Amino acid sequence: MPERPILLGVIGRPHGVRGFVHVTSYTADPADIASYGPLADGRGRLFRLRWQAEGVARVAEIVDGKPVWVSNREDAAKLTNTRLLVERERLPAPAEDEYYLTDLVGLAAFGPDGEEIGQVGAVHDYGAGASLEIGPLIVPFTRESVPEVDIKAGRLVVRPPAEMVVQPAVKTLARAPEAEARS
Amino acid sequence: MTRSVWKGPFVDGYLLNKAEASRASGRNEIIKIWSRRSTILPQFVGLTFGVYNGHKFLPVQVNENMVGHKFGEFSPTRTFTGHSADKKAKRG
Repeated sequence: MPERPILLGVIGRPHGVRGFVHVTSYTADPADIASYGPLADGRGRLFRLRWQAEGVARVAEIVDGKPVWVSNREDAAKLTNTRLLVERERLPAPAEDEYYLTDLVGLAAFGPDGEEIGQVGAVHDYGAGASLEIGPLIVPFTRESVPEVDIKAGRLVVRPPAEMVVQPAVKTLARAPEAEARS
Repeated sequence: MTRSVWKGPFVDGYLLNKAEASRASGRNEIIKIWSRRSTILPQFVGLTFGVYNGHKFLPVQVNENMVGHKFGEFSPTRTFTGHSADKKAKRG
């Protein structure tokens, strides 16, 4: 069992009669799951994957350091719902100012005055920049709002941005300035 | 059916004033808005909006690529729970 296991995917149902299986990959690029080397199942077994088609892979169990490839449907069916884990240390070092979500979640958040605010519960990214959810507070993951991130110490410093509330006015539908200029 | 071009993009008028005020202040602040229907205009680039999704205000950092889209597109109303696996977040 890896010390800090990261779930990368799950083996699904068998595919065909030659021992292939469907694999659900949770990695950023689904194909990357096969590139992290042997994957543990949390029960002491190690597996290796080789992609055959999109979402379909050939699986080998590593016995005494050698891969034993699954070659029939019955053996492949026994692997259904096997979780594929990897140790955190096996993930490559991220670039500057990039952080693994798994590292950020759980960090203790402190205010600029050193007062503890809470823990990072989730990291959101819906295409408009990442943001951290710290209790009821959601702060954009920027240098201004999160000036300090110390993964080793398990802490980050948060400077919550000021809030400007824009209440909807009575009926203020407006056209964009360029449309206004045209008319 | 798409919106007629002659009308120009739709935006709630008060957003323009607030965006201008926020930019003038130069502070690190979030403009909390309920107007998910408003189009993102070039004047909003570089600002951060908190767009209400019915539950909370999700920060939306506007960049050039988002111009022409609606604010609501970046603040989903349904909770997505996925596995973090090897996914990364970049500090902006």
